[in-house]
Amino acid sequence: MRKNLALAACLFAVFAMLALSGCGSKEEVMADPTEDLGTTEDVGAISGDDLPLADVSDDTIYIEPASSVFADIYFEFDQYNILPQDEAVLQRIANWLRENDQVRVMIEGHCDERGTNEYNMALGEQRALAARRYLVGLGVGAARLGTVSYGEEQPLDPRSSEDAWSKNRRAHFVVSE
Amino acid sequence: MLGQKRRCASRAMLAVPLMLLMAVTAGAQVHLNVSKAFGQKVIVAVPLFELEGGTIVDAAAARDVIEFDLGHSGYFSIVENREFVDETEIDDRISGRIAFQEWSALGAEILVKGKIGGDLSEVYVEATIYDLAQGKAIFGRRYVGSREQWRDAVHNISDDIVFKLTGETGIAKTKIAFVSAVTGSKEVYVMDYDGENRRRVTRQDAIAISPDWFPGAEELAYTLIRESRQECRRASISGSGERLTAFPGLNAFVSPSPRGDEMLMSLSKDGNPEIYRLRADGSDPRRLTFGRSTESSPCWSPDGRRVAFVSDRAGVPQIYVMGASGGTPRRVTLQGNYNTSPDWSPKGELIVYTSRISGTFQICTVDVETGETIRLTSGAGQKEDPSWARDGRHVVYSVKQGGKTDLYMIDIYELEPVRLTSGAGDYLSPAWSD
Repeated sequence: MRKNLALAACLFAVFAMLALSGCGSKEEVMADPTEDLGTTEDVGAISGDDLPLADVSDDTIYIEPASSVFADIYFEFDQYNILPQDEAVLQRIANWLRENDQVRVMIEGHCDERGTNEYNMALGEQRALAARRYLVGLGVGAARLGTVSYGEEQPLDPRSSEDAWSKNRRAHFVVSE
Repeated sequence: MLGQKRRCASRAMLAVPLMLLMAVTAGAQVHLNVSKAFGQKVIVAVPLFELEGGTIVDAAAARDVIEFDLGHSGYFSIVENREFVDETEIDDRISGRIAFQEWSALGAEILVKGKIGGDLSEVYVEATIYDLAQGKAIFGRRYVGSREQWRDAVHNISDDIVFKLTGETGIAKTKIAFVSAVTGSKEVYVMDYDGENRRRVTRQDAIAISPDWFPGAEELAYTLIRESRQECRRASISGSGERLTAFPGLNAFVSPSPRGDEMLMSLSKDGNPEIYRLRADGSDPRRLTFGRSTESSPCWSPDGRRVAFVSDRAGVPQIYVMGASGGTPRRVTLQGNYNTSPDWSPKGELIVYTSRISGTFQICTVDVETGETIRLTSGAGQKEDPSWARDGRHVVYSVKQGGKTDLYMIDIYELEPVRLTSGAGDYLSPAWSD
């Protein structure tokens, strides 16, 4: 059952990516539906005549910079389940990681100040692990994804307000080669 | 009386106390029958220590230390009127004898007469303890050490008094480890249990959390978070240290075993935070819990045969107990929806923990056998991270109030918090030594 879910997530990932890139340079992918959909690198061999993007050479695909892909994702108070609004972020991260297969990512789990210091250390790890599980479900190799909990040790916003707390309950992605 | 002065020739520190006078009471190990919990307290008079030789140490400070120790031991109360105490002491010194009846008239039952002296290199502290009703000395002790150790010497005498008179182990010589960020990075520090003698243990320039003692009060285990990784480390209070574990993910909540040969931790190396039991050097991790919930904050029962820990298997964090080799956990906290940070009393069946009550963290105990829950703290301020003293009677914890966090101790039979720290900076995550 879990395996099926992972496979479904994987397929969904690929379709979502294809859909997103539908109007850009990767149109050719759709021209060959027999392509193995599991690897995106295959879209590289495309003829370059009518490419609209001047800075993309014939045999490369456009890669978003890591900084715009690896956005933080957020969590409810005392919870570590992935929220629907963050699924697209994780999707983009998974896509990017499949295209940059030398990159490793450390996922940091953070909490707001309201739990106990001690339990927040466990909760932060669960947040990082939840993001990791989701990315693995989208086909990213588990060995490339590390986790670390910072508990409530490194708030983005040190104030004690709903606004600050909601920013601090996050998973943050640190990319390393 | 402390008529003749005997100088300890050895410069070896305080480990070997010199007995001045043998116990006079015939063979009795415990001099007083002090009930453990709510018994009537024995009233003690502590006159100003006599100064001998150069005035190296403040005699008034020595008395303050012994009064704090005995007054917070749970067994003694101090004669409050210092003016009368000082006058009676002066009369004694002039007359060269002890006016037992005068001391008794102040309400005192026990009299502690101390002397302190020495030079720049060596300090001695001695005290004789008298039973005023019998008009007799019970015992005397003398400690010698370096000048910086005069507090230790006085604490030793306090613990001797507690032990001789009650048969209980005192806490005056114990230390408390904690975390502070006064330097800008979170480091582990150690202080005497009364808040004095603070000194830094780690210099990692990162985030040190959750220190806990190995037996013997010389070494600590703690977690370090640095460059997006957690590791568990051992640190000696003399400054040395080494890495014990660096598994992927969580390396947290390390708890050395009562014998010091093993430790418990939470690791997530197998994909989920679970409880593991390892050798004290970090090797041979054996997994004790299996599930999909969050397992954290393990600690040992005093006999090392059981483990208490936190699990959210019921949806919210609660405290569970299982065998030290695993097995089916039994939930012990049945009230509240957020119970964390357990610490098992070295004396028995009580677990102290943090409980969220009406939005505020308070310190509670639960009896593992009966399930009886007692709340120790109240009022505003977030109280966290309770840790037992070796007497199974005192608990240290942190209180965050007004943006600042300090350490307090509380006697579980008296429930009057005593603030231990002050000054700039936060004091977090206390752990009481044995």
